[in-house]
Amino acid sequence: MATKSNYGWLQGRTVKKGGNSSSNPHSRSITPQVQSTSSTIFGGGIKDPSGRTSEYFVRHFVLFFNLSMDDQCPVCKSDRYLNPKLRLLVSSCESCIDRLFTLGPAPCPICNKVLRKLAFSPQTFEDLGVEKEVAVRRRIAKEFNKRLEDFDNLRLYNDYLQDVEEIAFNLVNNIDLPATEARIAAYKAANAAITSLNIQREEAEALALKEQEELQRREREAQRELIDKLETSQKDAHKIVAKSRVAAAKRSSARAASSNANSGILGMAFGAEYTKLLKTRTTKANNNVPDVPHVPLQDDWYAYEDLYTVRAGGYDDFFSDAVRKDREGIMRAGGYRVEEAWNRALLSAVAGLDIMTAVWTSAQSQSKPLDVDVVMESV
Amino acid sequence: MPSVDNNASPPSTKKPLYEASTQFKNWRYSPDHLAHIRSTLNEAAVGVIRKTFEAYEPGSSSNVSFVTADEEHLLVTFYIHKIGQLCGHFRFPEEVEATAASYLKRFYLKNTVMDWHPKNVMLTALFLATKTTNNPISLDAYTSHIPNTIASDVLDLEFLVAQSLRFEFAVWHAHRALWGIWLDIQNLPNTPPDFAKTESAIYDSALTHVRAARLTDAEFIYTPSQIALACISLVAPDLANQWLESKENTPIPESRVDIPPRPSSTAISASLEAIRNMITNSGKVPHVEAVREVDKRLKLCKNPEKVVGTKAYLARKAEAEKKAEEKRNKKVEGQKANDRDPFGQELGEPAAKPGLVDYDDESDDE
Repeated sequence: MATKSNYGWLQGRTVKKGGNSSSNPHSRSITPQVQSTSSTIFGGGIKDPSGRTSEYFVRHFVLFFNLSMDDQCPVCKSDRYLNPKLRLLVSSCESCIDRLFTLGPAPCPICNKVLRKLAFSPQTFEDLGVEKEVAVRRRIAKEFNKRLEDFDNLRLYNDYLQDVEEIAFNLVNNIDLPATEARIAAYKAANAAITSLNIQREEAEALALKEQEELQRREREAQRELIDKLETSQKDAHKIVAKSRVAAAKRSSARAASSNANSGILGMAFGAEYTKLLKTRTTKANNNVPDVPHVPLQDDWYAYEDLYTVRAGGYDDFFSDAVRKDREGIMRAGGYRVEEAWNRALLSAVAGLDIMTAVWTSAQSQSKPLDVDVVMESV
Repeated sequence: MPSVDNNASPPSTKKPLYEASTQFKNWRYSPDHLAHIRSTLNEAAVGVIRKTFEAYEPGSSSNVSFVTADEEHLLVTFYIHKIGQLCGHFRFPEEVEATAASYLKRFYLKNTVMDWHPKNVMLTALFLATKTTNNPISLDAYTSHIPNTIASDVLDLEFLVAQSLRFEFAVWHAHRALWGIWLDIQNLPNTPPDFAKTESAIYDSALTHVRAARLTDAEFIYTPSQIALACISLVAPDLANQWLESKENTPIPESRVDIPPRPSSTAISASLEAIRNMITNSGKVPHVEAVREVDKRLKLCKNPEKVVGTKAYLARKAEAEKKAEEKRNKKVEGQKANDRDPFGQELGEPAAKPGLVDYDDESDDE
């Protein structure tokens, strides 16, 4: 059972899909109706078209994966042969779990860790590694929800993201778990205010988004209604349009009033100010992190840059007349800049001015075979 | 072959950018060296072709008068001039013309006109230049404007040309340097503001000199800036001197210790003089009569292996095909040696195909 402790982190965390059914008297797997209830706590699984939950696992530790006849409950030893509708909840069958955990937290029959029934979460992904990572990230995202606005500069924010990623990685791969948990706890304590504030902000944003969508929907509906009315009614079209306009104006003014009332509590104005306050308080010490100056590419070539300057006012230049007078910039499409062409011309005007004629002695020809023959032969 | 004053400069000095160019590294020669290359190339080619003649018709080479290195050069020069005409016809920019001319010149430092006639290579060099200088033209448009030319005439030689150029397509041109000097002269303190308009004749005639320089070996021996300056000094010597002196006297910024010394006008005056002489003496289009005479003789002494339809050509082709065939066979054998179905042995039906063959055989027998 090397993987025993792998999923210990799931303790106390539930993804509840089916509602409160722990007390459901029908949730024993020996009774056939359990198979068809999707309201048990384990009921979030894949359903076939008839609405039945097909084979599906909730797990504590990874043990049984293959839906084969060999699957066996390690607790009561019943298997698929004896009970074809057996539902394995990874370490034990559903009935065992029901039996063991109905009276609240109880030790796991295999590893003796104290567990709750709620600790079993439904499986979404076939790969348990993915499942675990998703759960870890869900948990991490809840606590590490700082944003760029909460930091003074990008550098700090990136460091923070790096930390978060490290923690997530450690949790997923079981590296240094106690230390990592300690880190999380420390972070939690230090940033409780910002975390809760960000949660609020997220909620406010979600709410605002929802409202906006609702608004758009209503807007569309009104439009539709108006068109319908114009289609069907016998009344004067102008009157109908005017009426709908009045209604729209009423709606928008009501909306403005309500949003004003809300913004004081939930709106972004409050959040932003509060964050600003927090920010100045928490990161005052780090405020003056100097930006590393940009160092351009350095090489060992001398580009004659001091031998010429491109005249700031440009030149009286016949060749670039057309380009410079091109009002629409069609000729300059693609970023053509006449200054660069001038620069190149000036550079080649001064490049190699001082280079003397090559010196050649016939002795060199011996050491340097002509590649002439090579070309001739190769063809 | 770095120049003298570069050797003298301290090691911390940065190297000038021009010395990074392939033009400086691989296409810079002294006049003697050029002459040597051309004569040895000519000798080698004549030797090879003579052997080929003898191989197919013994004694036939004795009264062939092969073209000399100078005559080869004359022919090439003439076709550089032709490139200029073609570019005028196509309205290609100056850069294409200059690049194509450089390609043609460089090509004939590695090849001989007896193998590849410049009238064909010229077309390829020009087409290649349109591409390397980013002035592309479709092959159809290109060949349809040139009489008696089809696409394969241009493309067949393309790789050969590129290979002979060592795939070094970037060329530093004198006409660009001339433009740069012309712009920079406007920066001289005593230049009148309307100088470029009133004195544009200077630029125009300097440009004709640059074009004339294209017919000479100047670009193999001197740098583009020197050629451009010499061209200006042919028209307006004072102006050229003024500009050069201004460059010579540009103070080196105190913060810079890593730059080479300024160009010295006394040091390069000899080069400028030589370029001027070269342009006035040899910057001319060869006489058509002389070219025609060389061309007539070239027809007789072309490498028979490269002339379509001759015995030697056919023999060489047959040999090449034989070699290719051998190579293919070798490849097939090599494959057979480890010839196993990549998908493994067939399952179940072992001899499905042999069975078919047997069946055929039987029916044949009947």
